[in-house]
Amino acid sequence: MRPRALTTFAVIAGTSVLTLAGCTGGTPAAKAPAADLTAAPDYSGTLSILTKFAGEPLEPYFQKLAAEYRQAHPGVKVELIQETDQSIKDKTKTLTASNALPDIYFTWTGNWAENFVRGGRAADLTKVIGPGTDWGKTFSQGSLSAFAYDGKYYGIPLYNNGKFMGYDKAAFAKAGIKVPSSFEELIGGCGALRKAGYEPIAFGNKDGWPALHYLQQLFAYNVPSATLQADFKPATAKLDDPGYLTALKQFKTLVDTCTDTKTGTNGVLYTSAQEAFADGKAAMYYQEVLEFDNATAGHRLSEEDFGIFPLPVPQGGAGAPEVLEGAPEGYLVNAASPRAALAIDFMKFVTDTKNAKTLSAPPYGQPSTVIGAVTPETSSKAVYEGIGLVNRAPRLAAWLDTVTVPEVADAWLAGGEALITGGKTPEQVLDSVRQASASAK
Amino acid sequence: MRTISKRALGLAWVMPALVLVGVFVYFPLVENLGFSTLKWDIYSGSQEYVGLENYRDLIDDPVFWSSFGNNVLYAVVSIAFQVFGALVLAALVESIRSERWQRRLRAIYFIPSAISMTVAGLLFYFIYEPNLGPLNHVLQAVGLGRFDHSWLGQETTAMPAIIAMSQWQGFGYSTLLFAVAVQRIPSEIYHAAALDGTGPIRRFLHVTVPLVREMTGLMMMVTISGAFQVFNEVMVMTSGGPDNSSQVLGTWLYRSGFVRNNFGYAAAIATVLFVITLGIAMAQLWVTRRRRVEW
Repeated sequence: MRPRALTTFAVIAGTSVLTLAGCTGGTPAAKAPAADLTAAPDYSGTLSILTKFAGEPLEPYFQKLAAEYRQAHPGVKVELIQETDQSIKDKTKTLTASNALPDIYFTWTGNWAENFVRGGRAADLTKVIGPGTDWGKTFSQGSLSAFAYDGKYYGIPLYNNGKFMGYDKAAFAKAGIKVPSSFEELIGGCGALRKAGYEPIAFGNKDGWPALHYLQQLFAYNVPSATLQADFKPATAKLDDPGYLTALKQFKTLVDTCTDTKTGTNGVLYTSAQEAFADGKAAMYYQEVLEFDNATAGHRLSEEDFGIFPLPVPQGGAGAPEVLEGAPEGYLVNAASPRAALAIDFMKFVTDTKNAKTLSAPPYGQPSTVIGAVTPETSSKAVYEGIGLVNRAPRLAAWLDTVTVPEVADAWLAGGEALITGGKTPEQVLDSVRQASASAK
Repeated sequence: MRTISKRALGLAWVMPALVLVGVFVYFPLVENLGFSTLKWDIYSGSQEYVGLENYRDLIDDPVFWSSFGNNVLYAVVSIAFQVFGALVLAALVESIRSERWQRRLRAIYFIPSAISMTVAGLLFYFIYEPNLGPLNHVLQAVGLGRFDHSWLGQETTAMPAIIAMSQWQGFGYSTLLFAVAVQRIPSEIYHAAALDGTGPIRRFLHVTVPLVREMTGLMMMVTISGAFQVFNEVMVMTSGGPDNSSQVLGTWLYRSGFVRNNFGYAAAIATVLFVITLGIAMAQLWVTRRRRVEW
């Protein structure tokens, strides 16, 4: 293309912008379900599902269920779109922007699910999964409520999750330390573990969010709950509670004192840290219930040596020591799906007691939200113990990167990284989050 | 009449290609310009016209400017290594008398370019890994343990480490292209220069450099343009972190849209990126037209 032609093109492009900008009115999402959720399902056609179960060992779970469902209903083809924890975020947003969401799609709780509810993309499932319904009664009340907005129930909780410090009992015995009863005791024990030949806490923050998991639990311990909830929403956020600075300083102390990579932790993969713990090189690793079975499967760390405890509570915190970080994960039904009744039927099949028990058992190890699915017989000892603690916790603190708006979550993420390297002080981190929150109003 | 029908026939032949280019290249381009003037909520589907607000936000965004700075740094280093460094190396390789060794060296230098950028990024991620990566182990082994570092985990070294990897990956390709250009220079010119008593360095400066200027110009433009389209290696190695220190325009665009849900703003960054690369493309066309070497 000659320069003159390029100039002409640029002029045409510029003119088109103005035309387009004037014309674009947007394509609002459907506001109501296209099909009756309570109607008898029509067992024909293709049902599409976006899952977060890509890769081993989870991938076969939905594949097997889809095959079984097809066997029971030969007229129905189940189309699976399986993504990983990282890739599902992009995939879901791309499908949302192009109005191409599948009939059933994965969701986290908090702001993530709320966006789909607010945008009219999620069907109101109150009539079929509300607490008083037959299906609703099969789930734990807390997991159903996690997907409730303005008194309506939108989500089908599939499994519960919580964050715990996993530890190697043999390493603790070798170092002569006990499970810490306070955050200060946790930090104090790191020296003994190092002397015993272990990295006290394996930590990899290459993706940024692992730091957020520590921060969210520490915020829950140090910041009064009402303040914390108000600060998640930019409209009411002040972010001026001194508990934030305390929590940020505690996190920095943990990284500097208890990890080997210290200020370089941002260069380590989350999975590399997981491997270091499972291979017996590190004594502790902060992990989700969903990962418990991975820690001992085919690694040096045995199931007997694997123990868990909640991140110990710091002394004098103004928050809630009983709050545990975690949240269920589940599925939404596309409000515009013409097969919504069939989607409900399929999800009832997915969450029946038999399949819920299969999901909770190794190799999947995803503790089902269905009452009675997680038992000492179906689940590993650690998963059973962890999910018991999650269920007994009076309140859960949802993940920081899904509970607040994306701009603020991203500011926390960048701030966590800067705090680790020492590039920013806790005060500067908090200031950058305040700015992000103010601009998100 | 016959000329008109010939023209019509010609147009008919190129029409499918024009339609495809129009639909898949120019229409999205124009549509993106439209998006950059919107505040777009992908969940509700609502699109509010905000004029140039996204562009004003861009001016006030420090991460946009640091990303732009990283692209510029990427371009400067790439020109030094992949244009001037590659030219020197190509001249050296072509000056070797043994053709067999010339072929071998060209192959050795070219091999990294055959590896995809994503794979190379992953490979170097593990080389740079602070605990298990061989780079730190090598430094310790040769007594340079004080330089042991979390290369991708620190603000000061993340971007230089990514740039270093991309030079390794792209250096051989540029060398190969320059080698072809050097081969095209008639050997009589070198012989004449040698008869005039010029040494190898002067022959390089006064014969090779001027006679490959067309390729040099082209490589500079391609390299600069490539430096502003960097994406894969940053995403694989750091995702733009820590603390956005290794963001480039491409990754900041992605993060603004897909992480921060600000798709209008992301479209504004895309527009700026387009203007920059369009300018470079125009300069490239101008340079290659003006600097043709003939003998």
